[in-house]
Amino acid sequence: MYGCLHSPRPLSAEGALVDIAREFTPRVEGLGTTVLLDLQGLARVWESPAVLGQGLIEAGRGRGLDLQAALASTRMAALLAARGRAGLTVIPPGRESEVLAPLPLELLPLAPERRDLFHRWGLLTLGDLAALPAVGLSERLGSDGARLRRMARGEDDQPLVATPRAESFECTLELEWPVDGLEPLSFLLARVLEPLCAGLRARGRRAAGLVLDLVLVDRRPYRRVVRPAAPSADPRTWRTLALLDLEAHPPDEAVAKITVRAEATPARHVQFSLLDPAQPSPERLAETLARLQPWTAAGRAGAAVLVDTHRPGAFVMSSFGPGAPAAVPPPTSPRAAMRVFRPPLPAHVSLVDGEPAFVSAAAVRGAVVDRAGPWRASGDWWDVAWSREEWDVALRGGGVYRIFRDRMRDAWFVEGEMD
Amino acid sequence: MSTALKAALEDLLRRRRLQDDGPPLRGEDRRLCPLPTGLRGVDALVGGGLPRGELSEVYGPRSSGRTGLVLSLVAGCVGRGSLAAWVDPADCFAPASAAAAGVDLARLLWLRGDMRGPRTRRLTEAVAAVATLAGSGLFEVVVLDVAAFPAHDVGRLPGPTWIRLQRIVADSPAALVLLADAHVAHGPRGPSLELRADGPRWSGAAGPGRLLRGLGAELSVGRHRPRLAAFELEASV
Repeated sequence: MYGCLHSPRPLSAEGALVDIAREFTPRVEGLGTTVLLDLQGLARVWESPAVLGQGLIEAGRGRGLDLQAALASTRMAALLAARGRAGLTVIPPGRESEVLAPLPLELLPLAPERRDLFHRWGLLTLGDLAALPAVGLSERLGSDGARLRRMARGEDDQPLVATPRAESFECTLELEWPVDGLEPLSFLLARVLEPLCAGLRARGRRAAGLVLDLVLVDRRPYRRVVRPAAPSADPRTWRTLALLDLEAHPPDEAVAKITVRAEATPARHVQFSLLDPAQPSPERLAETLARLQPWTAAGRAGAAVLVDTHRPGAFVMSSFGPGAPAAVPPPTSPRAAMRVFRPPLPAHVSLVDGEPAFVSAAAVRGAVVDRAGPWRASGDWWDVAWSREEWDVALRGGGVYRIFRDRMRDAWFVEGEMD
Repeated sequence: MSTALKAALEDLLRRRRLQDDGPPLRGEDRRLCPLPTGLRGVDALVGGGLPRGELSEVYGPRSSGRTGLVLSLVAGCVGRGSLAAWVDPADCFAPASAAAAGVDLARLLWLRGDMRGPRTRRLTEAVAAVATLAGSGLFEVVVLDVAAFPAHDVGRLPGPTWIRLQRIVADSPAALVLLADAHVAHGPRGPSLELRADGPRWSGAAGPGRLLRGLGAELSVGRHRPRLAAFELEASV
């Protein structure tokens, strides 16, 4: 059995009808000023459908709402009856079409042109439409015609789609005495985080972020938001992350009230493999990166990502969150590395026959004993243009360096050391 | 898969040694397996690679191949699906060069020093970060690159620094590698690999079109009765 509650007047509080309906059944579908209820199985609790319907109206009246209610064996019949008839309507099974027949056609969701067409045909009530032959209606209006006829007869066109409850993962702790310092706060955080994380796990959720709202002893609010590299529902991890964050940004007064709100996200499902390398635990990784807060906060920790450009040394830093291992082809033989100077060291280079003969820069100085070059490169003429002439030089005192002449500025630099 | 079946399959894998470089199986202690550097001569000299759970030192003068040797170790490690970390207080790591050496950059956590800070503070922060990374148990290799710092700056770190790092890493399957200009880590029992530059290798006679082909290097292990190995590192164009 289905029920329907309808408010003929606009509602001041959105969701008020849904709240009333949820007092009777968890499966409800909110449709603005109307709410549909799935009442299957409630016959054992309520004496009769009429008593149940009266109970629905009384519940609305208790909240200051004058509601129309209908109970029927189909969702559509209950919906149309509640919208079209005042008070309570209980439709016995099999009599939906008969009860709905006198109701106006405007109760159906009709497009303006379709409504005009029905008026030209002389159709004014649901009964008029329901009485038309299904085949003829479908030949003239297509599948929509047949659908509207079924609706006018109170037949269901789609099942009840339950409106999910708004999820809120929040926990508040008001303190009798304000606490100062991180150590007592650690215990209090555990008290609010454990039920919060248990709630998340029970709903198959994880927290992608945690909003920590503190009210200080002088009534000032103090908010910190923690967003680790991966979602988690582990209270220990969240407590550590929150404490590390508070350690870096401590409140300047004692704390009088703690509210923790989780930004819920669906739990991560990972297919483990016997043969593939085990992936690091996201919680431990997030905790480790939080411990490196002075590095991560300044953007000095992460994974380097090469940029698709010919500009030498171009890269960007991204947050460190390793996924599945990439198939990087191993080099055929071990490679020498470059150790760069950031920024490149301005140098004075003496030339003999157009080739570097002596290099002098901060921490790099010596006669050039061997060299390779020049190799010219340029690019980004449409943006910040660069053009350079590179040399690899071996110095007498030891060390092989890459130096270059910036052709735009006509200046020499030491880019790095081959190692 | 039932536990018994999984255990039987793992036993079979272990017995047949189908996956030498695969992930650790249940009950397998990886601390006994060294991490290969990828350079055959070097691995032969140090017993198969750098040991896990110990602080190893790779040091040498400029252009002696010390960074290339450590990058080769890191490339092998991340290539097997593990994670590595590179703590770089002098901010001289070149990502393009590491990628050319076969390092999957997405699996390498790079910590860059704040170049505005004084050198001693950068070093102290780097040591603290290394302790955090080594203690996390997430990384198979943690590299502390202090090669750009003069030995006397590194020498100003508190005396027990290296022993403390050795103790932190002792119970983990991670290898801690100190990349330095000179021998600075006195105390830890891990190997000290001393490198000497053997000069650059060029592609031909001096003149236009010549390329830097690579770097030659000599490795010596053991201070009293040193064992030697020579190797070459190819230069990336």
